[in-house]
Amino acid sequence: MGIALGIDLGTTNSCAAVATPTGVEFILGARSERIHPSTVAFPSAGGVVVGADAKRFRLTEPTHVIHSAKRFIGQNIRSPLVQLALTGIRYKVSEGANQQPIVTVRDRRMTMPEISSHVLLYIKRCAERQLGTEISDAVITVPANFTDAQRQATKEAGRLAGLAVPRLINEPTAAALAYGFGKSRDQIICVFDFGGGTFDVSILKINGEVFEVLASDGDFFLGGDDLDRALAEVLAAECNRALAFDPRPNPVLMMKLMMGAEAIKIHLSENEGAEGEIDGIDLPNGQVGSLPFQLSRAHFEELIAGYVNRTIEVTNQVLMQARLSPGQITDVLCVGGSTRIPIVRQRLAEVFRRDPNVSINPDEVVAQGAAIQAGSLSGALTSGSGMAQRDAVVTDAYSPLTAPTVPVRAPVARPVLLDVNPSTLAIQTAGGFVERLLDKNAPIPIERSRVFTTLRDNQTRVEIDCCRGESRRFTENEPLGKLVLDQLPSKPRGDVKIEVSFRVDADGILHVRAADPESGVRQEAELHVIGAPEKAS
Amino acid sequence: MTARTDLLLWAQRIVGGKNVPPHQLLELPPNATLDDAQAAFHKIAKRAHPDLHRGGLTPDELELVTTAYALVAGAYQTFRGQLASTTRMRPVGRADSGPVAATPSGAAPATNASQAMSPRALVYYRKAELALKRGDLTGALLQLKMAIGADPASAFLRTALVEVETEVRKTS
Repeated sequence: MGIALGIDLGTTNSCAAVATPTGVEFILGARSERIHPSTVAFPSAGGVVVGADAKRFRLTEPTHVIHSAKRFIGQNIRSPLVQLALTGIRYKVSEGANQQPIVTVRDRRMTMPEISSHVLLYIKRCAERQLGTEISDAVITVPANFTDAQRQATKEAGRLAGLAVPRLINEPTAAALAYGFGKSRDQIICVFDFGGGTFDVSILKINGEVFEVLASDGDFFLGGDDLDRALAEVLAAECNRALAFDPRPNPVLMMKLMMGAEAIKIHLSENEGAEGEIDGIDLPNGQVGSLPFQLSRAHFEELIAGYVNRTIEVTNQVLMQARLSPGQITDVLCVGGSTRIPIVRQRLAEVFRRDPNVSINPDEVVAQGAAIQAGSLSGALTSGSGMAQRDAVVTDAYSPLTAPTVPVRAPVARPVLLDVNPSTLAIQTAGGFVERLLDKNAPIPIERSRVFTTLRDNQTRVEIDCCRGESRRFTENEPLGKLVLDQLPSKPRGDVKIEVSFRVDADGILHVRAADPESGVRQEAELHVIGAPEKAS
Repeated sequence: MTARTDLLLWAQRIVGGKNVPPHQLLELPPNATLDDAQAAFHKIAKRAHPDLHRGGLTPDELELVTTAYALVAGAYQTFRGQLASTTRMRPVGRADSGPVAATPSGAAPATNASQAMSPRALVYYRKAELALKRGDLTGALLQLKMAIGADPASAFLRTALVEVETEVRKTS
């Protein structure tokens, strides 16, 4: 394995880095930017444009600009949350094979992994130009609560971009790794990751080089995008009042309001109020007008209170799952752009009775962690790889000012990441109940098996329904798919034994196997996960 | 023996074993506590986590180590689950476990520990139970005294204390 990148493939923005002997180096875009919008445009002039340049087409060709693909990757298009998210986008998404969402742009039908692969390919090319060498491997980060299908689809995106993905790691875990690598101090930290599209909280115990996730939970339909949308609705109402027309049926106009909302949101993080106007509003009478707005921070906080409450609720749940009190947490890391909002930090401080750690860059720390893990897996990690001088987290043990000028190249103990299974995996048994095989928050990779038997005499076919979720009732959980075992020996009921083993690998991807433990006949069966990309044969 | 063959032998033993109780996979005694299990699992992770052996092993060997590690992780989950469900109240003052000292108030010991004391005291009481399980009488005595400190009114706790004190006298 040569040089391996660490890529934070985000909903709105992506970031990539590589571990070098002198520290983590970021991959720069065409204009030396470290943050690359996860936007893919298919302009009328032809070709594919990715990143900051693609964003420019949002106003001129909103239906040909694909953004927030991460919200749909590996999802079942029929799920209610996906249907809700579809109302917020302007490009065309329809149902494809295996209930996966398909994007149609300029008569081209593309899967979500294909869209994401354009972003990865762009980053790969930037990295190759910058480092002057070919890149074949990348560790990609995913939200901790990503499902099996979403993880498989993300790996598929890497494959389509010509990248081998030796590991998917969870975003909060990556952030903790960037924070704790090389510090060798025992700590229990909480990572609060509130990004553009997803929200995660993880509690980790750092014990030397061992990073153990104690508990993790989140919401993959909660992020900065939702805050923008809430604000855009207010602007639309204001438009209705001041300019006497409803802008909502007009996609270009709504996109303009969304962009205005994002700018106002960012402005309000630094200022108590925002006042101005949004120009270029196409009025129904054919003229172009401008929409004045005036918004105080207090009003904005009131607007987003529901979303913020939800994040705090999840944080408390995770603390409970880890069986810890807020006082036992030694540091709280803020990750993701939405943690820049003052009310979010204030509410966090109230929960933990300590100020959250804001000295790290919330947009870049995840890519840093991914780069460290990539370096570790490719064996290229040295004790200097942790943090580049200028990006360093200032700690008691390490400060950019006291850092040695000669890079340390000593080999270093590889970090051991003990990540967890995001939700309980179970199978349906008699009476509509479930038998839990792998618990939420169990360490991965993990394998467990159970022996099952047939219900009727001479039953030769068994269907095993798999699901994920915390309920004891099958129907209240999210179905994962069916495992079908054919050609069982014809025997009286209860005589046929089937051993079903579930394995979740270190990427968080589920593998199911069934076998007859008596005869030793292995019946390999593939679990067909709904919404997952077709398996490459 | 090199660390590599050592690791492979360990993995073969784990994968080859049938119906091995979880504590054995973790190399723990059956009465180990949650903390013991965590420490044992960390120790195994530091040595056998498949990520640490990429490049150092052939694909087949890596698969073997991964399977062994995954099975141990499964055992760790099972063990944690068992511990959570067996940390039930063990009635220390049962009649068949020796002479029962009369409680000062004369009240019969409650069968449900959680109803017999305040939640704060219950935490110490549970620790005392765990100490008893390990056979650590002095530790149990200390935890019980802490429990009584937290809830001086509980007759249940005083009964338990008398019990344990009798045990301590017997052994010394």
